[in-house]
Parts: sequence; structure tokens; C-alpha cells
Amino acid sequence: MLVVPSQKQQPQWLTRRLASLAGTAMFVAPLAALVLLWAIVVPLFGINARIFPSVSAVAGAAMDSIRDGSLIQHISASLLRVGLGTLIGIVTAVPLGIAMGVSPAVSTFLTPLFRFFSVLAGIAWIPIATLWFGYGFGAIIFVIFNAVFFVVAYNTLLGVSTIPYALRNAAASLGAGRWAVLTEVLLPGALPNIVTGIRTGLGFAWRGLIAAEMIATNVGLGYMLFVARDFYRTEVIVLGMIVIGALWLLIDRLLLVPLERSTIERWGMVRRA
Amino acid sequence: MKTLTLRNLAKTYFDPYAGAHVNAVHDVSLEVEQGEFVSMVGPSGCGKTTILNMIAGFIPYSGGEILLNGKAIDGPGPERGVVFQSFALFPWKTVLDNVGFGPKMRGVPKAERDKIAYEYLALAGLSHAANRYPNELSGGMQQRVGVVRALANHPDVLLMDEPFASVDAQTRMTLQEELTRIWQERRPTVIFVTHDVPEAVFLANRVVVLSKGRVLDQVEVDLPRPRVWDDLIEDDNFKRLSSQVLHMVRSA
Amino acid sequence: MNILLRSWSAYTRITLRWPGLAAIVPFIPVIALWVAVTESGIFPRAFLPGPVEVSKAFFTLTYKGILPDYLQDSLLRLITGAAVGMTLGIPLGILIGTSKWARRITWPILLFFQAIGDIAWLPILLIWFGFGLTTMTFVIVYTVLFPVVLNTVLGVESVPLDLARAARSLGASRARVLWEVTLPGALPNIITGLRNGLGYGWRALIAVEIIVGTSGIGFMMFDARRAGSVVEILLGMIILGLLWYIVDAWILAPIERATGQRWGLVTS
Repeated sequence: MLVVPSQKQQPQWLTRRLASLAGTAMFVAPLAALVLLWAIVVPLFGINARIFPSVSAVAGAAMDSIRDGSLIQHISASLLRVGLGTLIGIVTAVPLGIAMGVSPAVSTFLTPLFRFFSVLAGIAWIPIATLWFGYGFGAIIFVIFNAVFFVVAYNTLLGVSTIPYALRNAAASLGAGRWAVLTEVLLPGALPNIVTGIRTGLGFAWRGLIAAEMIATNVGLGYMLFVARDFYRTEVIVLGMIVIGALWLLIDRLLLVPLERSTIERWGMVRRA
Repeated sequence: MKTLTLRNLAKTYFDPYAGAHVNAVHDVSLEVEQGEFVSMVGPSGCGKTTILNMIAGFIPYSGGEILLNGKAIDGPGPERGVVFQSFALFPWKTVLDNVGFGPKMRGVPKAERDKIAYEYLALAGLSHAANRYPNELSGGMQQRVGVVRALANHPDVLLMDEPFASVDAQTRMTLQEELTRIWQERRPTVIFVTHDVPEAVFLANRVVVLSKGRVLDQVEVDLPRPRVWDDLIEDDNFKRLSSQVLHMVRSA
Repeated sequence: MNILLRSWSAYTRITLRWPGLAAIVPFIPVIALWVAVTESGIFPRAFLPGPVEVSKAFFTLTYKGILPDYLQDSLLRLITGAAVGMTLGIPLGILIGTSKWARRITWPILLFFQAIGDIAWLPILLIWFGFGLTTMTFVIVYTVLFPVVLNTVLGVESVPLDLARAARSLGASRARVLWEVTLPGALPNIITGLRNGLGYGWRALIAVEIIVGTSGIGFMMFDARRAGSVVEILLGMIILGLLWYIVDAWILAPIERATGQRWGLVTS
């Protein structure tokens, strides 16, 4: 258990810094232990490189692919696709969701529709996307956009339609015009749902991205993994897997979860597992 | 004769923020006889809840001993029943099944434990609620279920940790009267922790005043029973005892 | 305006009586739109066939027995994977949830492996097990496992401490507390985990069937794509959407809501 010197001797910023450092250390430690285990087990049991690579082989592959720029290329291709698709998805879905959610009649009517399409989101669109757009950038962006758009629209719709009428009335009785109601009541009120929608949609989009890149293109992390398989280059595969895991962990845990937590918990609203 | 003995009881724990050991409970000794109703009062942080949790077996004690009928206690157990401030009813079980839980753990068959449960629900006037779920009941009703659930297990001692703190003032008075009524009928041994001094005096035979982890004093309460708020609230003896204890607590 | 209002209130009344309708009626304009778009010829028929062609394909494939076979294969894989995932995941989740140290050690590892995702395992699985059932099952189990474990842990942790203490003070042994208190207490979260797991699971199944495919709905869709035939793709998507919609909205969500709300555990 971490013993911290008495608070009387320690400024508050330092306590907080140490606490967050300790938190990061507690997170990294088990993973580091796993890497250590990996480094011991592979040579110990003489595991064939074609079955599972050693730590040094993966590190070597990392060095090589960084040096020749291929890793950066694949990562940026993947991130570009997911970033662009997500951005377009959010920018189109949120206004639409708000517009639909404002009227209880419209939202009740359209909810099953959007639910159906958000339920379908992601990977299931790959075959038709590649047919419509051919292999490549367009198809992948479409799959990502699609995953984010419907899920975010559905959640925004849900979020806006569940804002208590009393809040809207209160704003109106305090002199808020339509634009003010939008920015001061609807948007903040629906924000937790919107963020949850983004997190869910992005999750589907990310999976869809990797799958689509295995099938439909010649650059990107999914592609890097799939092509390495043909040559039994397990060290590239494992490198790719680690990169994919790390990237998603960073996006989800450093960006999305704090965002979700800061809106939901701060405002004491809906709790979600 | 069943007795609960606390002898030189102590509890210390390490506080990382203070960087030092903290003494929550110091050298507390107490004897509770069978059928007694003992209240423990004191200001916040005096250690009364800690002592209760130690007797219940929820937290280990650092020094001294806790003996029930001469034997040291070991972890939680049915001979020390507990009534919680948060009620702690199992939300997925009906009221009937909640009350029958203790017997169920003892292996009593369903028909018989339902009978026991109904008997105890009747004691609390809750027979009609037998098949409801806890979240369908009001706070006061839930706590009554909590009390009879613990009683249905025939514990040697009943430990009550500020059980009425979560209900409104009027319900609280009703529950206090109910508790004394049930106690008079069944005569369990009770240790009742509270910060509400009139409540402590109303309920108990003996009030133990704690302060900063030690026993400050004990006061015998010889008011006649049955005790009813309408009478006692004007009673001179009650008022004297209450202010006596209140002074002790406030100057601690 | 009045007509709109009148028809809307009529609609509301009817759907109150038959709630199933509320789920079906909104799709009618969509289908109508679909027909309109295909008839207008904006997109070539090869790109966007109409509902008639899709229905025709549905009947043909069902008649030939192809569709039921593929559906069965897909469903079997999903259910098997889900069953294994839950059988492994729930006990594991309870174990981790009840031990503070197990939680600290395993949580980052669980998160990381979940972040890698099911699909990314495919290349190395193909090397190990080739193009077959083992690979497919592994991916589904992996996909379902993590949401189940993570949510079970959260569920275990959300059970108030007093409940376990109450059970112990009523004579329950530690093992019985797990069964009588922890498991029921964590149930709403476990079901959330199952819901998430299945949601990712069927998607992973489709991807796997596309890549590894020998049969199944995913295979059918991609095979059709290779042949340039959109009809089966659309058919597959509609079937998938319908199936999951039914399972999620009419089976899983109500269960989740029922356990949570009935016991007053969940706030949403």
C-alpha cells in the first residue's frame, strides 16, 4: 500500500500528481508483468517463431516498421479513416437527432427505425459498401460513417426526447428563444446520451475498420495484420495487435470515458454500466 | 446466563493520509447481561459504530477481546444479529423470503420457515406485505422487516446500528415504540447505537456514553415500561436523564 | 394540421392497444421510399434492387433450403460461442469482483485484451487453427467473454456491502453469500454484459464468416458480393437487423429492465 507523507508536509498539487502517477503505475504494472512473462515463456518452452514470436522479434519488427515508415503509414491511414468517418457521422447525426427528438410525435415514430439501423451498424455493411464503392477508402469511410451516424442519431434522439418537458418550459418562461433553448437546454440535456452514443458507435466503427481493412484495402492496420499472415510473420501480427489494442485503449480510456464521466457524473444524470 | 463481554477492546488502523496510526477505540470494557437493552451514544467519531462492527464480526479488533458466553467471537454469525441503517434487505427476495433467510441458512424446510416468517411479520404488523418486494415498501416498513428478519434467527444479541437514522422523525418515533413493544414481548439482548440522546434514553435500560474511543460513563435508566412518547415527553425523570446524558455527550 | 393531429392521436391509441404495431408501422414509409427510389431509376438496379426482388430471393433461397441452412449455421456458432463465453465469463467475473487484488491485477489486462478486439485475432488464429470451426468459435467466445466479465465485475462491485454483511450475520457462509447475494445482486449488470457481448458477437461472426467463410449469413453476403449480386446482400442485412432487433429489443432489454427495475437496483 502506497504510503504518502503527511498532508501537512505536502502541497496539494503534489498529492494529486502522485495519486495520478500511482494510478497510472497500477494500470501499467500488470501489463508490464505480462510482457515479462511473455519474455520468459517463449524461450523457455522453445516456442517456434511461426507460432508465436518472442518479445525481441516483435520489438525488432517495431523498429523496422517505424524506420521504413510503414507503421506510421498504416496507423495514419487507419486513424484518418476512423477520424473522418466519425467526424462526418457526428456532425450529421447530432443535429438530425435533435431535430427529430424535439417533437414527441416524431421521435416516438422514428425511434424504432433508427434503432433498427443502429442495431445493424458496422461490419454488416461491409459487403454492400464494397459493392457500391469498390475496394478502398470510400467503402471503409462509409462503413465507419454508417456505424457512427445511426448509433449517435439514435442516442441523440433518445437523449433529447427524454429531457423533461418542465426544463423546456422553464427556459421558455425565463425568456429563452428557440435558439437559446437549443443551446442551453436541449444540447446539454442530451449530451450524456450523445457521448454514450459516440462511445458505442466508435466501438463498432473501430471493429468495422479493422475488419474492412482486412478485406477491402491495401493500407492500414487491418491490412498490415492480414498480409503478414500470408508470410507467417507472426512478429508483425503481434505488433499490429498490440498497436491496435493500445490505440483503442488510448482513444477509449483517455478520451471517451473521461468525456462520458464528466458529463454524466458531473451533472448527476443517468448512470450506465 | 448469556452474556456479552468486551474486555479492554481496542481498534487501531493506519491512515495513509495522516501517515500514522489512529486509535478508534481504546480500552473499552463492557458487560451486557441477557435481556438487557443497552444504548451506546456519543459524538461523531467516538467509535460506537466501530465497536458495533467489531462485535458483529465485520471488522477485526486490534486488542482486547470480545466474548460471547465466554467464547471469543470469530467473524460474523447468526448468534449476533444485525439491523442496518441502510436496511440491507435483499431487493430480489420478497419480504417473506427476507425474513425467512436466517432459517433458510440453518436448513429449515420451506413450509416451516414460511411459518416462522409469518409469525415474525405479524409481530411487526406486516403480514399483509409478505409477498411484496422491499422497494415497494416505505422506509419505515422496510426497517421493521429488517428488525424481525434479525429476530427470526433468535440471535443471542441483537446489534442495531443507528437503524432509524434514515427515516423521517415521525416514523422514527413510531418505530421506537414498536421496538420497545417487540422487545418487551421477546426480550432479546440489544445493543443499540445512536447519536440521538432522547432515543437512547427512551429505549434502553442502560445508556453507555462514549467519547474519543473510550467509555465515558454509564447511566441506568429505570423508567417504567411500557414506554410511550406521549407520556414520556413530559415526564420529569425522562427529561432529567436525557439532559444528564446530553450534557455528558456535548461536553465530551 | 387538424387531420395530422387527429391521425396522430388515433395512432397513439392504436399502438397503446397493440404495442407491436409501433415497431412495425414506422417502417412502412421507409419501404415506400425504397420502392420509390428503385422505381425512379436513380440508381441502377444492380446497385439497389427493390423490395420485390429481395422478397423473391428470400422465398427462392428458403425454398431451396440454402437460407435456413446458413441461418442455422450462423445461429449455432453464435449461440455456442455465447454459451461458452458466459459459462467462462460469469464465474471469472465473480471471482475477480470479490477479490480486490485480483481486480487490480487483472483489470488492465482485461481492458487491453478487449481493446485488441476479436477481429484482430483472426490472422494469428488462422495460422494456428486454419480456416475452420475452431477459429470461428474462438473469435466468438473471445468477443462475448470480455463484456460479460467486465460487466459482471462491475455488477459484483455494485452490490452494497451491507447486503453481504446482513447475509453473514444471518448465518450464511461465504459460499452461500456468493450464491444468495452476489449473483442476484450482479444480475442486471450481467445481463447488460450479455447484451453487449452478443451485440459485438454477431458482428464478429459476420466478419469471421466473410473472411473464413464456408457457410452462414456473412458468407452468403460476401459470396453474393463477389458474384456482384446485391439482392442477397440486402436480404442478409435485413435478416440480421430483424433478428438482432427482435432479440435485443424484445428479449434482452426487457429482461435487463425487469431485473433492474423490479428490484429497484438500476436507476435508468
